[in-house]
Amino acid sequence: MEEIISLIKNKDPEQREFHQAVEEVVETVKPVLERNPEYRQHAVLARITEPERVIMFRVPWMDDDAQVHVNRGFRVEMNSAIGPYKGGLRFHPSVNLGIIKFLAFEQVFKNSLTTLAMGGGKGGSDFDPKGKSDGEVMRFCQSFMAELHRHIGPNTDVPAGDIGVGAREIGFLFGMYKKLRNEFTGVLTGKSLDWGGSLIRPEATGYGTVYFAAEMLDTKGETLEGKNCLVSGSGNVAQFLTEKVLDLGGKVLTLSDSSGYIYDEEGIDRDKLAYVQQLKNIMRGRISEYKEKYPNAVYTPVDPLLDYNPLWAHKADCAFPCATQNEINAKDGQNLVDNGVGLISEGANMPSVPEAVDLFIEHRLLYAPGKAANAGGVAVSGLEMAQNSMRLSWPREEVDQRLKEIMKSIHRTCVDAGEIYGVQGNYVAGANIAGFVKVVNAMLDQGLV
Amino acid sequence: MRFESGKIISDFDPHFKIFHELMPFKVQEILLVSSPYDAFIMEEDGSLATRIINEYQGLNLSGAPRITLVSSGREAIETLRRQAFDMVITMPHVGGMDAFDLGAKIKRIHPTQQVVLISHSLRGIYPIPENVECHSIDDVYLWCCEADLLLSLIKNFEDHVNVDADTARAMVRVIIMVEDSPVHRSFFLPILYHEVVRQTQAVLDESLNEPHRLLRMRARPKILTAINYEEAMVLYEAYQPYIFGIISDVRYPRRGKMDPEAGIRLLEKIRKDVPDLPMLLLSSEPENREMAEAIPAVFLDKNSPLVKSEIHSFFLNYLGFGDFVFRMPDGKEIGHASNLFEFEQQLRKVPSESIRYHANHNHFSNWVMARAEVALGSRLHRDYVSNIKSCSDLRDDLVFKVHSLRKLRQQGVVVKFSRDNFDPEIMDFVKIGKGSIGGKARGLAFMWMQLQQSRESHKALSENHVILPKTCVVAADGFNDFISTNRLHLNKDASDESIAESFLAVELPLWLKEDLRVFLSKIDFPLSVRSSSLLEDAHFKPYAGLYSTYFLSNNHPSFSLRCQQLEEAIKLVYASTWYENPRLYSKVSEQGREDSMAVVIQQMVGQEYDGYYYPHISGVAQSHNYYPVMKMKAREGICHMALGIGKTVVEGERSLRFSPAQPERLIQFSTVDDILENCQRQFYALDMKSTKKLSHDGSNLVRRLVQDAEHEEPVQLLSSTYIPAENRIRDTAMPGVKVVTFARVLKHKLYPLPEILQDLLDLGRRGMGCEVEIEFAVRLDKKINRSEFFFLQMRPMVTGGEHADVAICSYEIDRAFCFSRSCLGHGRFTNMADILLVRPESFDAGATRNIATEINALNARLQSEKRPYLLVGPGRWGSADPWLGIPVQWRDISGVGAIIELQNESLHADPSQGSHFFQNITSLGIPYLTVMEEKDGASGTCSFRNGGNCLNWNWLMEQEDFTDTDFIRHIRLPEPFVMKCNGKEELAVLYQKDDQFSSGEVCIEVHRKK
Repeated sequence: MEEIISLIKNKDPEQREFHQAVEEVVETVKPVLERNPEYRQHAVLARITEPERVIMFRVPWMDDDAQVHVNRGFRVEMNSAIGPYKGGLRFHPSVNLGIIKFLAFEQVFKNSLTTLAMGGGKGGSDFDPKGKSDGEVMRFCQSFMAELHRHIGPNTDVPAGDIGVGAREIGFLFGMYKKLRNEFTGVLTGKSLDWGGSLIRPEATGYGTVYFAAEMLDTKGETLEGKNCLVSGSGNVAQFLTEKVLDLGGKVLTLSDSSGYIYDEEGIDRDKLAYVQQLKNIMRGRISEYKEKYPNAVYTPVDPLLDYNPLWAHKADCAFPCATQNEINAKDGQNLVDNGVGLISEGANMPSVPEAVDLFIEHRLLYAPGKAANAGGVAVSGLEMAQNSMRLSWPREEVDQRLKEIMKSIHRTCVDAGEIYGVQGNYVAGANIAGFVKVVNAMLDQGLV
Repeated sequence: MRFESGKIISDFDPHFKIFHELMPFKVQEILLVSSPYDAFIMEEDGSLATRIINEYQGLNLSGAPRITLVSSGREAIETLRRQAFDMVITMPHVGGMDAFDLGAKIKRIHPTQQVVLISHSLRGIYPIPENVECHSIDDVYLWCCEADLLLSLIKNFEDHVNVDADTARAMVRVIIMVEDSPVHRSFFLPILYHEVVRQTQAVLDESLNEPHRLLRMRARPKILTAINYEEAMVLYEAYQPYIFGIISDVRYPRRGKMDPEAGIRLLEKIRKDVPDLPMLLLSSEPENREMAEAIPAVFLDKNSPLVKSEIHSFFLNYLGFGDFVFRMPDGKEIGHASNLFEFEQQLRKVPSESIRYHANHNHFSNWVMARAEVALGSRLHRDYVSNIKSCSDLRDDLVFKVHSLRKLRQQGVVVKFSRDNFDPEIMDFVKIGKGSIGGKARGLAFMWMQLQQSRESHKALSENHVILPKTCVVAADGFNDFISTNRLHLNKDASDESIAESFLAVELPLWLKEDLRVFLSKIDFPLSVRSSSLLEDAHFKPYAGLYSTYFLSNNHPSFSLRCQQLEEAIKLVYASTWYENPRLYSKVSEQGREDSMAVVIQQMVGQEYDGYYYPHISGVAQSHNYYPVMKMKAREGICHMALGIGKTVVEGERSLRFSPAQPERLIQFSTVDDILENCQRQFYALDMKSTKKLSHDGSNLVRRLVQDAEHEEPVQLLSSTYIPAENRIRDTAMPGVKVVTFARVLKHKLYPLPEILQDLLDLGRRGMGCEVEIEFAVRLDKKINRSEFFFLQMRPMVTGGEHADVAICSYEIDRAFCFSRSCLGHGRFTNMADILLVRPESFDAGATRNIATEINALNARLQSEKRPYLLVGPGRWGSADPWLGIPVQWRDISGVGAIIELQNESLHADPSQGSHFFQNITSLGIPYLTVMEEKDGASGTCSFRNGGNCLNWNWLMEQEDFTDTDFIRHIRLPEPFVMKCNGKEELAVLYQKDDQFSSGEVCIEVHRKK
């Protein structure tokens, strides 16, 4: 296995992010490879780390002053063993082949975990939409699609949005695809609701994280009913997560932003949540204003001199970190353990540092890593594809119900994988292994292609 | 443009364009040929030249001619060979040569030279002897020792030369005088000119300022003289449409012979053509009166002792210089109008028959023409108006034309306030009292004038309603009278509150109170009352924000309460002159004199919505952009705008920043998240409900949530809609959360605001000769072409660094520790001794969040110590992406004084704009420098010869650590370093001490590379 890593490093020495991602996967699937010699026999690691196809192309476009610019476009079609390539497009000046390859590699396992038929891919360009006019963005998108269209399709590769690619860009890309191919198909996700988009997209990550938590509790015969929950963040994920916790009878005690956090012993009920949504989404105010509205709450500003986050030092049953990467350090992890928190379900990407994760596993807490717990967003992308194929638009209840089923099934997959490979209750290993195994099995099934 | 005694005299003004084109020929050089004796007699009452100048000034005419005096014919010829003259005036005998000889010699040199003979006696001169070549003399006059004869013959010559052009251009009217006798001509011509000039001046709109009155005088009627019947007929036929009066002698030559009834024949012939043309028959024989009445014409006995007053009454009663007397067709008098204001009022109410009667007899046109309103005169001519069959249409047409002219005449003009004639409908800018109007009002008046003059050359200004809100300035004598009559004395220890109380306790001068009452009685819109300090001059530092502004809803049912509020507001503005801050500022800026104060009372722009009054848009535009990020260009300028009252922008709250040349490039609005983060969520409006008490602190301005005004038209018009389900912002109208994006104006070109701003900034920059800042407000109308752009204020841009402060010298670079050719911001800074440096050796792109945390802690400490610092580090500061740079947020660096970004060539990223982070950098004027790490050899020493960017790492490393963390070095220099940012050149230099340069060093100023 070390050989594979050094081979990759020698082959593409500048792709550091990709090397790191491969190392992490190899580390987590070691037991799988050791236990399954056929995987080694079929060199699945070498095959899975090499993209099925890399498309790199010139994107010339003209700005409003008639000045011509040239950017570089990428689409890394990493793996299509379980379905058409699926993954976002990123427009950002930091984009290069290494980053796109790394993201595509991770996407393969994320998609696999959803239990939906989606392969993995990623694309983008080093184009920076910041400061560009609508016209410039449109011309860039059209030029980008002028090349990309020949490589994608509803049954081939279905890109979505990512950083720098929102509904506006998806619209421009879709329009150009439709013109070039003369077909209206579900070739992109993240579309507007009126022409093929899916409901529940903003809610998906928050709802999904709670559904996953509910499944974990269910393994212990518990529910969220009456549980005290610590939630960090106050953005989209935290808001809809709070809503779903309330739906399931739980009590949310905290919310935060970059300036500090509020602790409301009485719980953040639906009215208070509506206020938070107003405050953060429309007023774009600080969470400290919650305290002005509800004086019984306690506001604690960020103290840069503290080496822990006091939000995680309250007594509670569940914790939902939804703010940012590395927001739970080792000390916070210890505080959670000490305060009797039995469940951590990550709404954010990698909010817990590895030491904290080790602590959770060590203390046998129900710990759902972000890659499993916050897969709701990816899942709804898959549901958009499904609706497009059927030429149907499901009502929100139906999408929500299917999301719930998907989260259930992700949970089941993680649990099963953990049990098979002797890491029962370890959702981290379970998630990594489950995603990996599903893909490599499909690869073996389909022969050496 | 030139400046004269503090007044701006415009050389060109489109309102007066036609007048600029009139009287193209002016007599400027006169050669007076006179023997010493004649000269002695002529100058008995003082120098002739002086008397002519006095005469010009007495009649308020411009540009008196220069007179060159020579004493002999020979000298005259020599002088004429050397120099050109417009006119030669000669006496009969000039050094051995008579006037006719001289005339002949002159004509041989200059055949078209005008030569006029004036004489103390006509003996031997008139009638001209048969053996004399009479064509050598153009005209003969009798000198009666009055300088106004000279003026008349000068003007008469000008009239003859200019008549063709002026009648064709402006239908200037013509009076013909037929008189063969030099004696009578010399007598009557000065009387007629006096009358024409005086009467025209008397009836010019009194609201005009002096320069404009002078210009308008160019359209006074012309007087053409003829000396016989045939000449008179030639003139009549040539200028028939323009002739509005004929003055004729009875006896003069006809068909080469003296005809005792030539004048009668002439008037009878013309009368057949023009039944209502005013005619005056002059005769020394009273028996001719009957014949005159038969023509009919007015008769004047030349020997009457009342000649002057009779001519005066002829002008008043027949030539339209008196009041307009409205009559019924039967002659019954029904009304009077002495000026255009009253004329318009009467037109609105007199019976239709009267209007029809006057229109058909061309009385309207004649009367208006006498006021030198040539354009209106022609539009009211019977040929036009008699075609309008419906009486009510005719009335409407006349009223509209007169009203439009009155309105147009006021544009670009500061009108003296008059209690009798104040008409807010047409007067946009009035001045109450005398004395200076202060810096703010001066800037407004100047730009107002510029605007009128330059509309035609600026498309956006000519095609849109770009106007001034109704403005009234109380000039400085209001303040001075207030202080002196109330015996107020400045006590330097008094608190602001006690000053305000003492000012409120006393009364404004009576004249001012009365003027204000009249002013207020005629307006019903909300007002802002602001200072216009006398020290606030165009090229000094403006005292922006030092004095208070008061807002009056001006809608209380009680008029006396409204008056009281206005008076209080003015008193409080006066009081603010003595407040502590302005006094301190005055000291700091070394303005060594006490301030006096004018007050600007201005209509607030906007409309009332549910008890709140506000404009759609207000903003500040600057002609130079010191933060030209992305593809903006510094010279394009920059605009900040917001919904509602301008306090949002002026006080640096959340507003939209854009380049008027590239309105679609909205850096703050690059992504949906950016828009949601940066869009305006609150705005200011005037609370129209709280009217009882004057708010002393502007608190009758209320801050409203955009969402609370979602149903109001401005929000609907200027907002896009956020669709959470798609995380998308749509510019089209649809249900959902409103987000103020101004998309319809900036992206979809509903209203040409960017174009108007570009034109105005260009105009301001040219006019003031420096970079300018303009405050504006916009009221959008449902019919968009009726929208109004209000120009609120203009002042020179204050950057805190004039050229001398920020010019960068060669020797400064040689001793610098940093030099950058990519600098945003402007000014000279000597307040930083601390440097926070991201250690290059321990920098790790994966640890940028930790670096941000360390900076946050150091910032907190330095800020509490009030020590601004220089922050130096790699990558895009404030980036949301930790891989692109250190993801500090504003709170992490809130105490920063300047920032250096070390850029890596491989990273194609502009500095972080659009974020709240960058908004703060911009609004606080914090310099942001970029140094390319590899390309510029950032480790090298700085040298002028090298010319490139540099950051001297070796020098930095040699400095002692003050504190040290894992990622940051904190250096504290013993003394603050010097930082010069030349925003115009986009250059910046940082070096240790100012005093290190010897006075002998030669400064080679460094400029931006082209």
